[in-house]
This record gives sequence, structure tokens and C-alpha cells, in this order.
Amino acid sequence: MAFLLRRLVFYLAAFIAAATINFFLPRLMPGDPIQKMFAGAGSDLSLENLNALKLTFGFIDAPIGEQYLAYLKSVFTGDLGRSIRFFPLPVTELLGRALIWTVGLVGTATIIGFTIGTLLGVMAAWRRGTRFDTIISLLSIFSSSVPAVVVSLITLFAFGYTLGWFPNGYAADPMLDPSWGWDYVGSVLYHGTLPMLTMVIVLTGGFAVTMRNNMINLLGEDYIVMGRAKGLSDRGVMLWYAARNALLPTVSALAISLGAVLGGSLVTEVVFNYPGMGNTLYQAILARDYPVIQGALLIMTAAMLTANFVVDLSYVLLDPRLKRA
Amino acid sequence: MTLLTQLLRNKKALVGVTILAIVILVAIFAPLLTEYSPTQRVGRPHQAPSAEHLLGTTRLGHDVFTRLLYGARISLAVGFGAGLLITVIGTVLGIIAGYKGGVVDEVITFLTNMVLVIPNLPLLLVLAAFIGQASPLVIAVILGFTSWAWGVRVTRSETLSIRQRDFVKSAEMLGEPSWRIMAFEIFPNLISIVGINFIGSVLFAVITEATLEFLGLGDPNTVSWGIMLYNAQNASALSVGAWWDILTPCFALAVLGLGLALINFAIDEIANPRLRTGGMLARWTGLIRRGEGTL
Repeated sequence: MAFLLRRLVFYLAAFIAAATINFFLPRLMPGDPIQKMFAGAGSDLSLENLNALKLTFGFIDAPIGEQYLAYLKSVFTGDLGRSIRFFPLPVTELLGRALIWTVGLVGTATIIGFTIGTLLGVMAAWRRGTRFDTIISLLSIFSSSVPAVVVSLITLFAFGYTLGWFPNGYAADPMLDPSWGWDYVGSVLYHGTLPMLTMVIVLTGGFAVTMRNNMINLLGEDYIVMGRAKGLSDRGVMLWYAARNALLPTVSALAISLGAVLGGSLVTEVVFNYPGMGNTLYQAILARDYPVIQGALLIMTAAMLTANFVVDLSYVLLDPRLKRA
Repeated sequence: MTLLTQLLRNKKALVGVTILAIVILVAIFAPLLTEYSPTQRVGRPHQAPSAEHLLGTTRLGHDVFTRLLYGARISLAVGFGAGLLITVIGTVLGIIAGYKGGVVDEVITFLTNMVLVIPNLPLLLVLAAFIGQASPLVIAVILGFTSWAWGVRVTRSETLSIRQRDFVKSAEMLGEPSWRIMAFEIFPNLISIVGINFIGSVLFAVITEATLEFLGLGDPNTVSWGIMLYNAQNASALSVGAWWDILTPCFALAVLGLGLALINFAIDEIANPRLRTGGMLARWTGLIRRGEGTL
């Protein structure tokens, strides 16, 4: 329990750090920060609305310390300001809509990639030195080194444009209304296939390599020999003695790689014009919509921290020593 | 056997080093390999590959092959520049944290973990958005100062185990100053970790620079693979069927990435002999693996 509590305090500190970056960035850049942050709105912004925005982002007539506290207060009360481009849409609402798509895409792709990658890694380690191992290792190395941008563009080119099997953009057919009906859900799955495939290609290799190397390092251990000596089946030793213990470092590698996963999804969303966080951030950058840009960093950080906490929880389940700690 | 001779005996390393060497040679001798200038209009827009334009032309009539050759310069410069910066920061902080311990270690570890949980690419995008169009140099510097955390983590944990060894203890007894112990006793034993960190960081920097530029945060006048992707995407190269415009930089990035990754895996195999699967070890594992092949 103390372990989880310590992690929670740490995540809080990390979140405040991200908010601090947001606070200081516009103030460190040359020129008037207020002018820079809200200039995109032009004359659409009434004085009243501008003042409300200034208050949200801590641009008040007070020392910098108080400005900082004012900004933190708005962040922690869930007020991330309003989009300049889609004024007066609140940033939280704009990004909240996008977050659902990203979590769906990233979550599913991570689960698929982690499962396939881990299984391939286990099998490659168990048959190390065989042709199977060589092929899986080379494919994994390739998959973990090729940029997400490249995989997205090639998948889009091959399956979207050349073969025409899948649509080239959007999360669902824009003619359909969102609902739980088969038409809409089917359309979401159909549109999600290519971005998902891209993410799985990018992710699987890394998991396979990590798992393979962890497994190989464990295979010389005494308890593996013991398992064999007891006359357990190969599959039993492989899964319950070797793989179970090799999984632990793989799970912590998963936690570290989540940032990269989010980065990968960002690019994939842009290429496939998928309405998630990444694409929303991209559109905001093109329009210099700074409140949305800053909000996206905060929400993505929060998403990362939540995912890390889930990994912490699974760690407690996988490693009994932590339950007592 | 030194790391270098071992590297040259490893098949993965050999392929990786060859790829890297070709890219470096291409970057250096770009002006000799093509008659065109990378920034001049030398043909009609979106010409298909031909004898005259080996990889066709872009929407603006630039020669794609020429831009590919010259682009290697920026990718390599940003990759190695940022990679070096990342590695130096990561190694120095990692060794200090691992060797000094105590409060110093706690502060460094805390900072490292914090940088690790703030998502990197979104942070870079936010930084770049405030900076405006970032030149390759600016991109390399930002990458260097935001991406060192992984290196600290691995260097620190390795230092922790080396610190306990006898030669470090005896150096301490002899009264060597701690900077000397860190630089001359511990650092040489971290060479493979530092190597993996360096090559991995170069790979990361090459990919991230291209990604940032593809997303429109780079300086569009740069001749680099990322800007090639950006221009091709803006010219809707895929939907008008100009595949050579967009697949060329894709291919270049994938090949360079593969080369660097192969070198890295080879270093890992040399530093950690159990991972190797050839020769003696294969026979040994063969003994252990009698009758497998289920699943």
C-alpha cells in the first residue's frame, strides 16, 4: 500500500511539473506572452472574454508567484481555458472528445501489440538459435526501429490508396450519426483498422525483443533446471517458470514505453486524419491555438500518469513482494 | 578482444555498420553523385522516375534523388549531434547518481523519473510550437536537453553494481578523488551501456527530427528527410499518385533506422553473451532444449 501511495505522490509532482512548463513557456519566449497566446482570436474576443482567459492562465496584476498559483488553481479546478480557434468551446470539452478516440486506439493497439510481442518473444527465446528465432528477432529489430511516420505513410499508401481496402481518414463514416448500432460501430472498426495496424506494427517488435532477452537471461537459472528435473512439461516450464518471471521487467518496460506509444499514436492520427488527441494537438499547432496546445500536454501527461498507475497496480499483482512492502 | 573487433565478427553489426557507412559516404560525397542542386527547380512538377531523374521530381520540380542525398547530411548531423548530447548528459548524471548515492542520487533519480513520465513528443511539440519554425540545430539542442532520462536510468543501475567491485574499493582505499574513480575506474566498464545509449539516442534523434519536421514544426527551407516528407504530404503526393515523392524519404529513414538498430542489438549481444545464439552457445542451448517444439 505504501508503494502505491508513494507512486501517487510522485505522479502528482510530475503533473505539477508539466503545468509548470506550461506556465513558464509563454513567459520565457520573446515578446508579449498575452499578445502571443491569444492573438489568434483577433477581434472576435471581447474585452470581457479576454480578461476571463487571462485570469485562467494566470496573467494577473500580481507577482509571478501569485500568477503561478492562480494558474495552478485553474488547472486543478479543471479549467483549461477556451479554444481560440473554436471560441468559446472549452479546451477540456474539445480535448475530452478527442481523448476517447486516442484511448480506444492506443489502448487496443497496446494490448494487441503487447500480447503478440510477448508471446513471440517467449517462443523465440525458448527456441533460441533456430531459424524461427532469427526471423522473429530480425522482424522485431525492424519493427522497433522504423519510425511510426514511415509505417503510417506506407500502410496508408498500400492499403488505403493502392489497394483501396480501407478508408484514408476519419474515425467513422461522416454521414453516420454516432450510436451503438451496428452500422456506426462497424464503420468505426473499419476506419480504425489501418491506424490500429500501424500502431501494432510499431509496438510489437519492442515488446518481443524485451521479452526474448529477459527470458534468455532467466533460462540459465536453477529453478528452470529444477522445473525440468521435476518432470514438468516443456510448456509448463516455459510459461509458468520462465515466462512468468520474465514478464515483470517487460511490464516495467511497458510503463517506460507508454510515452513513445503516445508519440506514435500522435503521428499515426495525423497521417490517417483520425480525430484523437494527437491530431487535435496538430491542428491546434497549425492554428497557433495555444490554450489547446497547453491543455493537450496536460491531458496527455495525465493520461500517461494514469496508465503508469495501472502498470504499478499490475506490478503489485505480478510481484508478491510488493504487496508486503 | 576489444569491442570493435568483436563488433566486426557479428553479422548483425556488420550489416548495420555497412548501412551506416553507406549513408555517411552518401552524405559526404552528395555533390559528386548528382549533377543537380537540391534547392533548384530542375524539372516539371511530379515527374515519374526516369533516367534523367532517378527518383522523379517533387511538386516544385526538385530532383528527389538529389534531395535524398543531401538530406542525409541533416539527418546524420542532427542524429549524431543530439545523440552525443543525450549520451553525455545521461552518462554523467547516471554515474554521479549511482556512485555518489544519498541525496544527490535521490534528486537525480526523482528528476529522471519525472522526465520519463511526461510524454516526450507532445512536450517537444509544445516547445516547438512556442519557438516557431525550428532549424535542425534548434531541434538537436531541444532533443538533447529533453531526452536523457532513459540513459541516466540504465547507467545508474549499472554503476550501482560496479561500485561494489574490488577494484573500485581499492581505488577508494588508495584515496583517489571521486571524480577520478568515476572517470577512470567506472566509466571504462560502462562502455557497452554507453554505446547502446549513444546509438539508441542517435536513432531516436533521427526519427524525432523527421517526425517534428513532418508535422510542420521544422524550417521548410531545410533539405532534410523530414522536410521531404512534409513537402510531399503537403503536395498530397499519395493522392495524386506521386509515390516516389513520399516513399523515398520513408525508405531512407527505415534503412538508416534498421542499420542503427542492428548495431545496437549487436552491442547488446556482445555485452551480454547469453543473448548470442551462434557457435558454442547454440550447441549448449541445443543440449538444454532436447525435445522442444511444442507451442
